[in-house]
Amino acid sequence: MSSAWITTRAWLLMLPLLIVMVAVVGWPMVDTVRLSFTDTRLVGTGGEFVGFANYTKLLTSRAFLGALENTALFAVFSVAAEMTLGVLAALLLDQQFRGRAFVRALMILPWALPTVVNAMLWRLIYNPEYGALNSLLTQLGILSEYRSWLGEPGAALWAIVAADCWKNFPLVALIALAALQAVPRDIKAAAIVDDAGPFARFRFVLWPYLAGPLTIALVLRTIEAFKVFDIIWVMTRGGPVNSTRTLSILVYQEAFSFQRAGSGASLALIVTLIVTVFAAFYIAMMRRSGSRA
Amino acid sequence: MSTLEIDAVTKRFGALETLKGVDITLESGEFLVLLGPSGCGKSTLLNIIAGLLEPSGGDIRIDGRSMRKVHPKNRDIAMVFQSYALYPNLSVARNIGFGLEMRKVPKAEREVAIRKAAEILQIEPLLERKPAELSGGQRQRVAIGRALVRDPKVFLFDEPLSNLDAKLRTEMRTELKRLHQKLKATIVYVTHDQVEAMTLATRIAVMREGQVEQIGTPREIYDNPASIYVAGFMGSPPMNLVEGRISDDGTRFQAEGGGCDFPTPANAIGGLTPGRTVIAGFRPEQLFPTPPAEAKAVTMEVEVVEATGAETLVIGHIGEQTIIASVKPDQAPEPGETVRLNFAPGNIRWFDPESGRALPNE
Ligand SMILES: Nc1ncnc2c1ncn2[C@@H]1O[C@H](COP(=O)(O)OP(=O)(O)OP(=O)(O)O)[C@@H](O)[C@H]1O
Ligand SMILES: [Mg+2]
Repeated sequence: MSSAWITTRAWLLMLPLLIVMVAVVGWPMVDTVRLSFTDTRLVGTGGEFVGFANYTKLLTSRAFLGALENTALFAVFSVAAEMTLGVLAALLLDQQFRGRAFVRALMILPWALPTVVNAMLWRLIYNPEYGALNSLLTQLGILSEYRSWLGEPGAALWAIVAADCWKNFPLVALIALAALQAVPRDIKAAAIVDDAGPFARFRFVLWPYLAGPLTIALVLRTIEAFKVFDIIWVMTRGGPVNSTRTLSILVYQEAFSFQRAGSGASLALIVTLIVTVFAAFYIAMMRRSGSRA
Repeated sequence: MSTLEIDAVTKRFGALETLKGVDITLESGEFLVLLGPSGCGKSTLLNIIAGLLEPSGGDIRIDGRSMRKVHPKNRDIAMVFQSYALYPNLSVARNIGFGLEMRKVPKAEREVAIRKAAEILQIEPLLERKPAELSGGQRQRVAIGRALVRDPKVFLFDEPLSNLDAKLRTEMRTELKRLHQKLKATIVYVTHDQVEAMTLATRIAVMREGQVEQIGTPREIYDNPASIYVAGFMGSPPMNLVEGRISDDGTRFQAEGGGCDFPTPANAIGGLTPGRTVIAGFRPEQLFPTPPAEAKAVTMEVEVVEATGAETLVIGHIGEQTIIASVKPDQAPEPGETVRLNFAPGNIRWFDPESGRALPNE
């Protein structure tokens, strides 16, 4: 068989898939780009070509800057907390203790729950009248009266960060645990004989094996956090007073609540661009760790 | 400079009994070589001495002090791991100096020690590299370096030269011997290499399935193996073991299937009673070709001739049994020939085929 025929056959076999991909991904993307240069509305009039008007208006609007800030805050703090908690949990679960297998299995649970279920759960916990958090904090004497955690602009974003963290740190913990179990026993033993303290052991024995997988987890989690939508939509719908409105929520509101499809499309493309930058970074990381091994 | 007592040490991993009661007492400055097949528990024993594994029973004593519940870092030992166990993101120099760094030895002092170790191990040009950029043999020398910079009570080496080429291995062996003579350190050393065992050890312990089969000086182990197992393990090629029978008048040994027939030594030992079956053991290098006019002990049909350099190995059979003779190259026969061999009868070791133990000597 000639190699030309092999190549041709390969393309022929991939053709159906390519057609489907173009139909469901490629064409909508192209159409979104077209839409973003028009003032199309979801219903009724519009559809005129307006150039970069959508973009300039958006990029200078208070709504966009506010959403960008919320997204960045959410991403930085939730991811930082997830990474820290995840690594700590992995270090604990890497120890020998009775019931370890059970705790490991239990830890996956929050991550395995659907986001909507998790969000509902935390709405109950944060409930201003009968929420568990209020009763816990007042009983401990930390809080004098019940608060509406999701109803106060200063607290809502942090409440969601905590909920998201609870859901996602197990993933980081699992990745870190897998990495820790790949640390050769003899290197750990050598560090013990060498009288290395806990910090030196982490730095010189565990970290070399953790760094690669954790970088990948970090980038993946950051991409996810930048696209965050469902947990916020279920818990606050972007409120109160837009204090939890992130970029994805804004895209949704722009396109569907305010029915400005053209403007929504341009915003969606901006978010896509931001996430693509992270993704490119991720691919570069993968390449590097791949060539190193 | 410390004594080391291994007192009735046992170790179980679940249902698996890896060490079944090991007793060894080392004087200060002894160089003990642990010899034994893969999986017999050598690394496990080293790990127990180091305190990295807890024994299921028994105790380790260093300088008479029980090491029970003493943390590895407080036992004052240096260990070279079978798998090297280098810190992956530290340079060679920092790897070597790590134990000193953790023990707060001043930098200047550390650097002198690192330089000296690197010089002995011929890895000076590699000091700034990372372990991933080294070959197996280079990594192994870094692992040795980590132990050399320390001045511990006991050194533990787990097959430290296994990955070096022949020349480097010989050089490092000499360096280790020199080091031992200079430091008068107490050393426990695992190896599969006969030459290393013979040249380095003050005593050799031959291990078998979690027990010490025999312990003694290299000469004792080589000349007077306590069992067929030790005889077959020491020496390469190992001792010839020929099964046969003492004649009814008690004066001759006759191999089963013929080909080997010689008078039992006059000073014959208690165990060689007339009519009993025994195994005669003699080393390949004790055999020498003998002219037809003279008495012969062995008639061998040669199958394979292997020139190894200084000696030529002649492999063949007497009756059903295979034996090996080591002769001078100019005396080597051709394959297919039948050769007559003799040896000094005093050099024969006798074993009981049932128990595998040596019969009492002299
Ligand atoms: N941590 C462990 N858990 C369970 N079994 C173990 C453990 N460590 C060693 N063993 C078992 O104990 C036995 C002896 O192992 P050990 O590593 O001491 O052998 P060794 O004599 O050093 O062999 P080698 O020459 O191949 O290095 C083996 O059967 C091994 O499977
Ligand atoms: Mg071993």
